[in-house]
Amino acid sequence: MHFLARFTRVLAVLSLLAAGLLPLAATAQFSNAAGAVVTTEQVRAELMAHAPDGAGPGQTVWVGLQIRHKPEWHTYWKNSGNSGLPTQLQWTLPAGVSAGEIQWPLPQKIRIGSLANYGYEGTVLLPVPLTIGPDFKPGLLSDTLEVKLAASWLVCKTECIPEDGQFALRIPVKSSTAGQGAQFDAAWRAAPVALALSDGSSVKIDGSALAVSVRGLPAAWQGRQLAFFPESPEVIETAAEWQQAWDGAAWTARIPLSAQRSNSPTVMPVVLALDGQGQRIELPVNGSWPQAAGSAQASTALQAALAAGPRTGLASAAPAASIGFWAALLGALIGGLILNLMPCVLPVLAIKVLGFARHADDRRAHRINGIAYTAGVLLSFMALGLLMLSLRSAGESLGWGFQLQNPAVVAALALLFTLIGLNLAGVFQFRQVVPSSLASFQPRHPVVDAFFTGVLAVAIASPCTAPFMGASLGLAVALPPVQAMAVFAMLGVGLALPYLAASFIPAVARALPRPGAWMDTLKTFMAFPMFATVAWLVWVLGQQSGINGAGALLALLVAVAFVAWALAQNGRARWVTGTVSLALLLMLGWNLGPTVTRQAPLAQQAVDGRWQAWAPGKVEQIVAGGQAVFVDFTAAWCVTCQYNKQTTLSDPELMADLAARKVALLRADWTRRDPAITAALQQLGRNGVPVYVLYQGGRAPQVMSEILSVKDVRTALAQL
Amino acid sequence: MMKRRSLFAGAALLAGLGMSLAQAAPSVGQPAPGFTLTDTAGKSVQLADFRGRHVVLEWVNPGCPYVRKHYNSANMQGTQQEVTTQGVVWLAINSTETASADYLPPAELARWMQDQKAAATHTLMDVDGRVGKAYGARTTPHMYIVDPKGTLVYAGGIDSIPSSRADDIKKAVNYVKQGVRQSLAGQPISDATTRPYGCSIKYKS
Repeated sequence: MHFLARFTRVLAVLSLLAAGLLPLAATAQFSNAAGAVVTTEQVRAELMAHAPDGAGPGQTVWVGLQIRHKPEWHTYWKNSGNSGLPTQLQWTLPAGVSAGEIQWPLPQKIRIGSLANYGYEGTVLLPVPLTIGPDFKPGLLSDTLEVKLAASWLVCKTECIPEDGQFALRIPVKSSTAGQGAQFDAAWRAAPVALALSDGSSVKIDGSALAVSVRGLPAAWQGRQLAFFPESPEVIETAAEWQQAWDGAAWTARIPLSAQRSNSPTVMPVVLALDGQGQRIELPVNGSWPQAAGSAQASTALQAALAAGPRTGLASAAPAASIGFWAALLGALIGGLILNLMPCVLPVLAIKVLGFARHADDRRAHRINGIAYTAGVLLSFMALGLLMLSLRSAGESLGWGFQLQNPAVVAALALLFTLIGLNLAGVFQFRQVVPSSLASFQPRHPVVDAFFTGVLAVAIASPCTAPFMGASLGLAVALPPVQAMAVFAMLGVGLALPYLAASFIPAVARALPRPGAWMDTLKTFMAFPMFATVAWLVWVLGQQSGINGAGALLALLVAVAFVAWALAQNGRARWVTGTVSLALLLMLGWNLGPTVTRQAPLAQQAVDGRWQAWAPGKVEQIVAGGQAVFVDFTAAWCVTCQYNKQTTLSDPELMADLAARKVALLRADWTRRDPAITAALQQLGRNGVPVYVLYQGGRAPQVMSEILSVKDVRTALAQL
Repeated sequence: MMKRRSLFAGAALLAGLGMSLAQAAPSVGQPAPGFTLTDTAGKSVQLADFRGRHVVLEWVNPGCPYVRKHYNSANMQGTQQEVTTQGVVWLAINSTETASADYLPPAELARWMQDQKAAATHTLMDVDGRVGKAYGARTTPHMYIVDPKGTLVYAGGIDSIPSSRADDIKKAVNYVKQGVRQSLAGQPISDATTRPYGCSIKYKS
């Protein structure tokens, strides 16, 4: 009894003590754990931290949201697949502390009926690195780093519930936090390993599927079936059947594209996995994304650019709202007309018009010549258009001027222009050089001659993209073939129109001075623009084949000039010099030809003042950082580009303005074939250079006129 | 050489065409698959009935929080009102299978739509999911626009901010209003395919 009473009293005291301690214990728990955990009917979510060396300046601290799902429930990966949404984390951190990206652990493919998603079941930790800068000052009283997180996640079984939670955690600055190290270790082990891009690793757009090829995977994986997770959402048909195979050390797969694809990336980061181990590789996308079938509509960016036209003084051929097929035709016509004024085309036309003076009275012959010339221009433009469209549909990523991305074509043009120049300068006449049967052909058939002048005009006009042409050509490649060909034909009509009009209006021929010695002088003078064009082509080739290629081309040009001169000699001298020069040309051609056409290794992109080299994804990255970006899409062979570069883009005041507004300057060089740049141009609704674009956050990119004026850029800048 | 190359290209083009036809879901620019479904009142409704008019298709499931986001905020009803007063037909389609917890029989679905003051022209039952799968519908809501010629001109989300927060609606671009406005004006639709977001459709497996 006594004992019992004592025992009861002890119990009472103990329970009193316990009661007194309870709130204390609860407070302790509150400050440590409460605020770090949110529990719903479907998940238990906890904010975790890993800071084994404390959280002082210079340290990297790991935080992360752990989600424990009730059985059958799941949340989503960064690409959620057919439905669902990725888990989103928004951090509130003290000054000097910044959060990185989520290091997404390997997901699994979760099928729901006929749909498929990428996500996590069971327990997952989404780790995020925090960088602690020198500016971080812990509070005076508490020596801790306070981390606040607003997280939202969509949790689904077959039904879906959007949930969110507020989390808070204090991480001691000076002492170690490592109690959850095991969970972080597991998350890091589950994160894919970065795999370097090696030759032959790529994604190719092949009709309505992606052809993926990856090299450099672990040798132990060869022959095994891999799981495939693309990080870019809305590209592939997530639920569709797909095939994979091993081709030696290369893993290949064919994955159907989504019929309702709304994403056209230029680089696709993908994760390949086997037995819980992942490899992540960023694959460049080759080929152009298929356009929606039969939809004759311009891309959003193009429309935005055209809509912005009147506002910013951009070259806009169409009424703001509806650039359609007809506007593209009009743009092509105006563009073709302006081509006549381009420095490479003008000499040829000038000589052609001189022909009027010689036969000022024969109006019928003029008309026939005019028609033949027009036919030559039209047919060449359409042939070039057809070739480009066919190659594009075969999966090559090409754009206007594509032929000049080939060094052999550049070299051939340089040879052609040298011969024309020598001919104009009077070194030889065509009838001296070619067999007499052919030579008599030219004067006897002025019609044929006029036709080939048209062909020549197109050949030399192709490096120039005149204003209005860019938008039209960009649209043309998205149109059905018949309409696209109509746009190309209309370009030809524009180019041919001035000469055709001149040949039909007698006043033009009459206005020319009488034939005389001045004509020869002018003709000889015209040799110099031709040689200037050659000098420029040699420079273009130098960009492609390096100094050795350019040197070899110069040697070939000398040899060709030698041949032309030799065949213009008379009698025995002709035979001797002709044989020697031809032998020399053949020998040089045989030996140096490959040097000319071989692409030299790309020199490290020279940093040109404030200009940086463009790379896929770079614009988005800079814009995401809150900076505006000006991109110069250019090529060495593009005359208009070079002109703008030397004038507007060298204007010191404008460059200072750009610097003052902290606009990042990127240069995308399309001198050589580059599928990534072709794809970027396509996103802007363009298909050739030059293109000048100002990107800024939250706005459609502003595309400026091809003939760039300081005022254009200023007007665009004023809207920043 | 060139000629052979372009012949080859032509063959590749044809092969590509054949492949996209074999695919189930239509792309924007292709003919919208025809269908006949029964509405909540038991009346048979055909897509072909509305040739010559624009038709908006809305995949709906009252059990889905994303559908409720757009109905509780009156955003969906406002969109229905705005486009149907311009002569556009609005078909709400429910592809939820009968075995799902979210399934509502026709009369209950009709009552829910009425309670919501929905302005859909018809609310259609697609319990076997055939029409949903023919369009490649994945989520509720998932929105489509068919033009008067029967061509699919829009496929994607109701708006541009994929979230469950009703506050985001006023910041988002309503792709259906935009698409109908542009299509009625004879303009090309500027965002013709977008990302649909919401709950997975509970298809009959």
